Amino acid sequence: MSTAKSGGWWTIAGVVIVIYSFFPLAWMISLAFKPPSDIVSGSPQFLPTTWTFDNFVTIFSDSLFTRALINSIGIALVATVLSVVIAMFAAYAIARLEFRGKKVLLSLALGIAMFPQAALVGPLFGMWRSVGIYDTWIGLIIPYMTFALPLSIWTMSAFFRQIPWEMEHAAQVDGATQWQAFRKVIVPLAAPGVFTTVILTFFFCWNDFLFSISLTSTNSARTVPAALAFFQGASYFESAVPYVMAASVIVTIPVVILVLAFQRRIVAGLTSGAVKG
Amino acid sequence: MAEITIHNIVKQYGDGYPAVNDVSLDIADGELMILVGPSGCGKSTLLRMIVGLEDITSGDMIIGGNRVNDKAPRERNLAMVFQNYALYPHLTVFENIAFPLRLAGKLSDDEIRKKVTDAAKTLELHEHLERKPANLSGGQRQRVAMGRAIVRQAAAFLFDAPLSNLDAKLRGQMRTEILRLQRQLGVTTVYVTHDQTEAMTLGDRVAVLKKGVLQQVASPREFYDQPVNLFVAGFIGSPPMNFVPATVRNNQLELPFLTIPMRPEWETITASGKVYIAGIRPGSFEDASLVDSDKVNRGVTFDVDIDVTEWLGNEQYAFVSYEAPAEITTQLERLASDLDSEQLRTQICVEVDPLSRVRNGDNATLWLDTSRLHLFDPQTGGNLTRTAGSERREPVTTG
Repeated sequence: MSTAKSGGWWTIAGVVIVIYSFFPLAWMISLAFKPPSDIVSGSPQFLPTTWTFDNFVTIFSDSLFTRALINSIGIALVATVLSVVIAMFAAYAIARLEFRGKKVLLSLALGIAMFPQAALVGPLFGMWRSVGIYDTWIGLIIPYMTFALPLSIWTMSAFFRQIPWEMEHAAQVDGATQWQAFRKVIVPLAAPGVFTTVILTFFFCWNDFLFSISLTSTNSARTVPAALAFFQGASYFESAVPYVMAASVIVTIPVVILVLAFQRRIVAGLTSGAVKG
Repeated sequence: MAEITIHNIVKQYGDGYPAVNDVSLDIADGELMILVGPSGCGKSTLLRMIVGLEDITSGDMIIGGNRVNDKAPRERNLAMVFQNYALYPHLTVFENIAFPLRLAGKLSDDEIRKKVTDAAKTLELHEHLERKPANLSGGQRQRVAMGRAIVRQAAAFLFDAPLSNLDAKLRGQMRTEILRLQRQLGVTTVYVTHDQTEAMTLGDRVAVLKKGVLQQVASPREFYDQPVNLFVAGFIGSPPMNFVPATVRNNQLELPFLTIPMRPEWETITASGKVYIAGIRPGSFEDASLVDSDKVNRGVTFDVDIDVTEWLGNEQYAFVSYEAPAEITTQLERLASDLDSEQLRTQICVEVDPLSRVRNGDNATLWLDTSRLHLFDPQTGGNLTRTAGSERREPVTTG
């Protein structure tokens, strides 16, 4: 009886939390489909009076948005791929090899991840300008990697550590070189860890506003979150809100796709059956 | 196929502790050699040095005439079955077995398919080839691990306690299976186990290790009848050999519960007035009333109070407790800790005929076959009654 009752309470609490967290999202979607006249209407309502795709058409015809979208996709992809590949090797070394300064390295990595990003923006701005990578892709990719790597290394080394040593030993006895054992046995087994890291890193780069707004000045490297701040409506007399919301909906789509595509891969228990538990 | 020669092999860890200490062992081509000992005796370390997963501190490891000390595992062409199987969970059974062949990269897909199918047939795995290891039972996983070993022409098979994760019934079946397979393929095999039943039933020869030191290499039968020291005598046999103090006095051997007239072969090895440790297998005793009259003269009869009896259907054990002098007790305690067991009380275990009517608390007349009694030196633990020249090796069967 009591479990059924408490189960009911959990369901109610769950529904409340879901409504609470989905409301802004629903509002964003609703705004994106509203004609600009709805925004300034005297009798505001949640759903659009007429559903329209005009906002999307407008933002896609605006080079400010399309250029920012290309920047966002390019920078996030490059930063993610680079940091995941580097983190994979680093995490493998940390999980498997004994070397001097391993503890220092790990705590340093954690320290970097903890470092307040805002404190770095000023110095980076100065450095990037003198080095000449201010307002370029590489100027954003480097800070993104710096902040994504420590977390990626920590996550992946945890996954590598779960893989029994015997898997590699078995592969070596079966005739594999260390590299073959890594590529054919360890990486496939660590796949859930790799996908988790890919998603976390991609989200971090995709959602970043601080670095993007501070280290760019033109369209050449500005990403969508920063570009949204510069958005104006079709004319000065119209509210920019529907367009901003339409753009927000567009940038949310890759995130949703990524999660849906990879959620099946991020299942624990892929290693079950390797060894007798 | 190859013979394996282990020559003065030492494995020393960073803290200077020798896990394997000066072990020399010749394993003939096609022979099944068992490495056995209590946990921590270095048997697995020795196996891992053969396969190349542990560095060798000093000594020579020679496989098929080549010194392999500095060779990587993949260059040694050995196949190993791990204790926890170490199957590749992301690959099907077929790909697991094919893995070493694909790495070698010399065979076409058709040849690989044929070899894997043949190996799977031998191990009765052909119905499960497309399944993943996670969906297999313990015994099936074990056979996949063996399939991965037999699919290629390995110079030798190495087994690291492969049956220890299986339940008792399956273990018995797989033991026979491994033996059958080894005989059929005739591949040199080194088999590590802590289970003495496996050691006794599987091996052409058995090597017993204690704290990294090789104690004795012999056929299972010789191990049982002619153990080289207290440790080996206590390790092999279930229930274990009884150890009791034995004092030589007035040309007699005085045990706590009986006195035995001196046998001629003991006279040269013992000194009057000294204390020895007598080792007697439970099976050397019998209920005196059930011993054939022509056998009685081979031993002595004596009366004791029986503490407890255990009747198991086809065998029956009786326990007799006795008082032992302090120096013998400490020696026996040390032996017990070496053997990973605990010396609970000084008692002897007697195997009597299941038909015997001896019951708890009875005063019974027992018979002891004195020709099967061993005398051990209490200081060194060496077997004084061991007959020299019995190191004859049992013929190696290849086939």
